[in-house]
Amino acid sequence: MKTNDLIDALARNSEAPKTRVWPRLAFALIVGLLIAVGLVLTFFGMRPDIGAARMMVMMKAGFAALGAGVVLPLLLQLAKPGRGPGWRLAAIGGFALLCAGVVAVALMGGDPSTRFEAWMGGAFPWCIVLIPVLATPTAALLGWLVRDLAPTRLAMTGAALGAVSGGVGAMAYAMYCPTDSAAFVATWYAVAIALCAVIGAVVGARLLRW
Amino acid sequence: MIEGEAELKALMLRGLGGDAGAHKAFLAAVSGNLRAFLRSRLRTAPEDAEDLLQEVLIAIHTRRDTYDESYPVTAWIYAIARYRLIDHWRRRQRRGEHIPVEDAHGLFTASEDEAVDAKRDVTKLLAMLPQKQRDSIRLVKLEGVSVRDAAAQIGLTESDVKISTHRGMKTLMRLMAEAEA
Repeated sequence: MKTNDLIDALARNSEAPKTRVWPRLAFALIVGLLIAVGLVLTFFGMRPDIGAARMMVMMKAGFAALGAGVVLPLLLQLAKPGRGPGWRLAAIGGFALLCAGVVAVALMGGDPSTRFEAWMGGAFPWCIVLIPVLATPTAALLGWLVRDLAPTRLAMTGAALGAVSGGVGAMAYAMYCPTDSAAFVATWYAVAIALCAVIGAVVGARLLRW
Repeated sequence: MIEGEAELKALMLRGLGGDAGAHKAFLAAVSGNLRAFLRSRLRTAPEDAEDLLQEVLIAIHTRRDTYDESYPVTAWIYAIARYRLIDHWRRRQRRGEHIPVEDAHGLFTASEDEAVDAKRDVTKLLAMLPQKQRDSIRLVKLEGVSVRDAAAQIGLTESDVKISTHRGMKTLMRLMAEAEA
């Protein structure tokens, strides 16, 4: 086919498509979270002291939501072609600084003899494995939206997508997570979200192609 | 660029508003610019350039709702074109084809017509270069032979070929600038 004929054919079909970003974004985030919560309830079970620990669970979930929230502008920015990240990277940097600050303040304020335990949570931090698993449904739903927006920097977009999904996964994980120390949460939830970003960059480079 | 950012953006916005004529003019202008861009990147496979151009045009057409008015439309177009070009290289690589490094760099031409003219000029200008530089450029830049093979053919060392190509290209650029002035 000649290129000029193609242009004629394309121009005849002049109805502009419309990708409905916000409804689909809300759908991906809410449904992704619900599925993750369902997975937690089915396979791990809610922590037994959920009544007494309600405040802590809410705070941890809020921290995770903040993590997702600071990366979301970057994801939306990179999802469409020809737009640089700009200030949106600074938001993420600010969140990382906040995490470091929380860890420092919490550990300095605590008893030096229990510092290490407060930081490590006393055992292997399973959240860095489980949060990426719980992030998967959100990542799939977000990927379905983002691919329609024609991202052109796939690894970076995938990293942002992974981090947002990681934040959502961490919100669900907070219902099960038995460790409440602020230093633990600010460290390992952030590490888990960063790990999701790395996985997202690798997987996104392949699966976000359009 | 034949069309500047302002003209292209005006056409794009009118096209998005449902003006089919403006949309067609937009696609036509874009195809002129992109043909030059893609050919300059695919100099060793010009037959792929037109196929790729059509792919990019279809992508631009079907994804035009992803254009954000607060950013330049040329940035949007080239982001898509670059993405499709990289995708094309990736597919070729998966099929085990050789990708010459020379494709990644090179001269920028302004339109299809000029590309044809330019090649004729280059042959003329090449004749003005010393033998060594002329042969190096012809093999490496025009015929897409690897530096090693070119060196073997001319009977020079690889670094000799690289230097000759580089010096020759510089002279060529100067000659072309003079010819244009």
